[in-house]
Amino acid sequence: MRILLEKLMINYPYFVAVILFTIGALTVLTRSNLFKKLIGINIMESAIFLMFIAGGNIRGGAVPILDEANPKPLYINPVPSALMLTGIVVSVSVTAFALALIVRLYQSYGTTDARRIAEMRNEVTEG
Amino acid sequence: MTATITANLPVFVVIAPLFVAFVLPTFARRMRLVESLVVAIEAIGLVGAGYLASIVLMQKGIPIIYSLGGWSAPWGIELEVGSLGAFFLLVVAAVSLPVALFARGNLTEEVGGKERVTRFYVLYLLLNGALAGMAVTNDLFNIFVLVEVATLSCCGLVSARNHPRAAEAAFTYLILATLGSALVLGGIGFLYIITGHLNMGFASQELGRIWQDYPHVVWMAASFMLVGFGVKSALFPLHVWLPDAHSTAPSPASAILSGLAVKGYLICLLKVLYIVFGHTLMQEFAMHRILVLLGMIAIIAGSLFALAQDELKRRLAFSTVAQVGYIILGLGLVNMKGLTGTLFYLASHAVIKSSLFLAAGAIIAATGKHRISELAGIGRKMPVTMAVFTVGSLGLVGIPLFSGFIGKWYLLLGSLDAGHILAAAVIIIGSVLCAAYLFPIIRVAYFEPVPEENWQDPGMPQKIALILLAVGVVILGVAPGPFLELASRAAIELLVIK
Amino acid sequence: MLDLILALLSGAVGGLIIAMMPRASSRLRNTIALIFSVTGMAFSWRVAQLVFAGESIRIAGEIGGLSWSLEPDPLGAVFGLIASTLWLFATIYSFGYMANEKKQRTYYTFLLMSFSVTLGVAFSGNLVALYLFYELLTFATYPLVIHERSLEAMKAGAKYIIYSLSGAGAILIAIVVTYGWAGNLDFAGGPILASGGIRPGLSLLLALFVGGFGVKAAIMPLHRWLPAAMVAPTPVSALLHAVAVVYSGVYGILRVVYSVFGHELMGQLGLSYVLPWVAAFTILVGVTIATQQDVLKRRLAYHTISQLSYILLGAFTLQPWGLAGAMLHMISYSTLKITLFFGAGIIAKQTGETKVSKMGGVGWQLPKTMAAFGIASLGMIGMLPLNTFWSKYYLMKGSVAGGRWPLALVLIGSGVINAFCFIPTVVAAFTGERGKPTAERGAEVSLMLAPTVLLAGIALLIGLWPGLVWPGVQAVVNWFF
Repeated sequence: MRILLEKLMINYPYFVAVILFTIGALTVLTRSNLFKKLIGINIMESAIFLMFIAGGNIRGGAVPILDEANPKPLYINPVPSALMLTGIVVSVSVTAFALALIVRLYQSYGTTDARRIAEMRNEVTEG
Repeated sequence: MTATITANLPVFVVIAPLFVAFVLPTFARRMRLVESLVVAIEAIGLVGAGYLASIVLMQKGIPIIYSLGGWSAPWGIELEVGSLGAFFLLVVAAVSLPVALFARGNLTEEVGGKERVTRFYVLYLLLNGALAGMAVTNDLFNIFVLVEVATLSCCGLVSARNHPRAAEAAFTYLILATLGSALVLGGIGFLYIITGHLNMGFASQELGRIWQDYPHVVWMAASFMLVGFGVKSALFPLHVWLPDAHSTAPSPASAILSGLAVKGYLICLLKVLYIVFGHTLMQEFAMHRILVLLGMIAIIAGSLFALAQDELKRRLAFSTVAQVGYIILGLGLVNMKGLTGTLFYLASHAVIKSSLFLAAGAIIAATGKHRISELAGIGRKMPVTMAVFTVGSLGLVGIPLFSGFIGKWYLLLGSLDAGHILAAAVIIIGSVLCAAYLFPIIRVAYFEPVPEENWQDPGMPQKIALILLAVGVVILGVAPGPFLELASRAAIELLVIK
Repeated sequence: MLDLILALLSGAVGGLIIAMMPRASSRLRNTIALIFSVTGMAFSWRVAQLVFAGESIRIAGEIGGLSWSLEPDPLGAVFGLIASTLWLFATIYSFGYMANEKKQRTYYTFLLMSFSVTLGVAFSGNLVALYLFYELLTFATYPLVIHERSLEAMKAGAKYIIYSLSGAGAILIAIVVTYGWAGNLDFAGGPILASGGIRPGLSLLLALFVGGFGVKAAIMPLHRWLPAAMVAPTPVSALLHAVAVVYSGVYGILRVVYSVFGHELMGQLGLSYVLPWVAAFTILVGVTIATQQDVLKRRLAYHTISQLSYILLGAFTLQPWGLAGAMLHMISYSTLKITLFFGAGIIAKQTGETKVSKMGGVGWQLPKTMAAFGIASLGMIGMLPLNTFWSKYYLMKGSVAGGRWPLALVLIGSGVINAFCFIPTVVAAFTGERGKPTAERGAEVSLMLAPTVLLAGIALLIGLWPGLVWPGVQAVVNWFF
């Protein structure tokens, strides 16, 4: 138990990432409000970003900018951060697109609730 | 000049459609030009893919490696046109050209307005570029980016019709697909953290050395990838978004979504499983059993759902769910014949399903009827369209002389080699069910009273596109030569990689 | 080789020509159908002649690593002869029967197409080609089954497709397994699996094959599509559901027993003791159900189910005499059954009666038809001057030679029940009010009557002079033993 706790303490960013991911996934799957779904997606993606960046972090490492005059013994891995920059860009574009779709849905149905929309659609097709 | 182009061809086939996609809006007012440009770039892509494939075939298994920006791996990003890459490139190019040809003309009505047509083409080309990229990339993070590009353009294509239902389907798709991408990215993260590489070859080598130290992480990575790509490629219990998305999209979009986009994600899954994890690790973690099981469930369930649909495009969409099952099942067979079969089946389904969706689109455009029961006698009014539909159906059912048969034959051989008698039985039951849900359409179309209305075959470009695809189905069935060769080479390469 | 290609293509070409002429008069259409049936038959005879002369004709190719070949051997040649000859009769009969029907173009197109496909089944030289044509046969004959376009016909068609495709699926699995074990699917080099000897799963494989082909051969309990398919026009029922389609199933089983497993390997399998009894069961139950049917065509259908298993029984005895009996029965039974069906068709067309119970006195109206019908009914019992006597004789001889004399009792018992099947119909037809033979006048009836009477005559001729067909039978037996 103690060992487990110690492992958790050392790897706490991953722990947080898992919690965030779960929150995000649950929000996406259980909420019917379209905005909340979208926010859930964002939370989930943040969790992944956090995990990636934590994976690249090296304790005691310096900022990875090479200074020839003053070389450091240990640098942080810059690749994950760079990758996550791309990830964030993607995430933003998804969000923007989803928001546009929500606007479109609100214009036609007058609500942002997925369940209401489904009901209204069924009424339309049945009627 | 030619030397430069041929030397840079692997990146050219990816970049060209992306570049044209961004240039396209500047010509938005000149529809004819836009359409011709799209068809031209698709044709160039086909020539390029064919050229690459012929080189790969001639080199007998030595892949063309292209290092982006001159940085070699593991620092730079690598493109690799091996047998697998050339194969999928060829499939993408061969299917997207006729689909682009079909889109000429009838799209304006379907998407509602001329300015929307250009947007449709932008997304279409983006998707194309992303799929070509998936074929050739050898980098895990690239896969994520390409998957995202493909997902966003797919969502765009689904919502291309100016209709609230399209927006709703697109939103559902977007949410679930993003969930899938997050899982994929998570899986890539796990792999990167334990191996320190994003290049698939290096990651795989590293993984082979250290996997025993991190069995749980490998498990997590594999399951994240499987579920992530599973959502995107509509693996059975995760398929919920597909029927709505594929049936509400404009017909050329449905064709490309069902025919190619889904296949792109499957190719990514294949690459991750066979190149990064490798078949020994797959067997160590019993992933192949899971894949076979999931495949069998998908075949049966997808077919049964398809049987219950009366709306033409929805039936075809559920059929895609079933056919994805075949490919997933083949991925789990882990032997040469099974893998050859699954790759060939992938190609054959790409051609068949796009021809079916285009034919369905032509029917719906001409008649305005969506339901199968309302299509009585359509075969007499639209002979070309219905003939193509019939050829596609025969191919999907797996009648000899049509492409589906060869894929199924190798899948059967593979599943018996792997000792999965049940899988072989499911493949056959799937074919019978497939006949059960496709033949009623043909029966209604040909053997029921001919209606009074003046319905007609679509215009010339559409007809040519349909006939091209039907000819493709037959050629793949009668003379699959180079395609089968590429597929079996790819299978061998994937299995001896370690 | 050219003969083989021409024999195979004539039906398909004729079908295509008819399909492409939507506005052709029915006279022109009939002429075309006749020409191509005759050429198909002529070249099939020529192929058979070459095969019996010991020449080998082979066309082979490869699709995606799968080699196919067309290479008729005596068994295929005999089947080709039966099919092509009877096809000509059925085509001529159709001219009369279909004269006033709708959708003639579709009918003749697919009738001719199925001709090609059936010959393809007969002449295939390996399992891949056999499977291909077997599968195509389902689709080529489907439009004929649903010719009426009624709800009942559609249901029958759906049943037919699903049954056939399921059977074909089982066959496909079996072919794949065979390929995995033997690496070769050609019939020419002797039994495919014989060199591998006995191995586990062989019985299962045999069951898959027999089950798969058994659908079209209507082995009980896989027979249900056949009575349903009787909604088709009579020439179709006669030709396809008494001969061509069902024979392709029977032919497939013969192939499996003698070309895939070989009689020696079969003899070592436990299943080979069960299969004759499955056939015997089908013989007895089929004919018993047949006697209970009131609709004549349904009675004929169940009777077909029973009679097909005679052939299978002969094949399953694994004795030379048994196989000879099976081949003889294949030839004899087809002539008689088509006569019966043609007779039933004429009755239905000219008097409107389809039920046996209402056929009293029909014989006076249609004397020639009922005479032919009567001869065929006697044949079904196995009476001496008719050809089935000889086939039953050899079937019994084969059963006894294999040490399974109870099977011979089954054959005798079935002969007795057969007597109750059609003889009462004939007797009833000639009792009751005496009428004038008015219903047998007119060109259309003559077109139907001529093939009917001619076939009855042929049956009688073979019965009196079995040496006429014996060389073919002997060639088949020598080929496999």
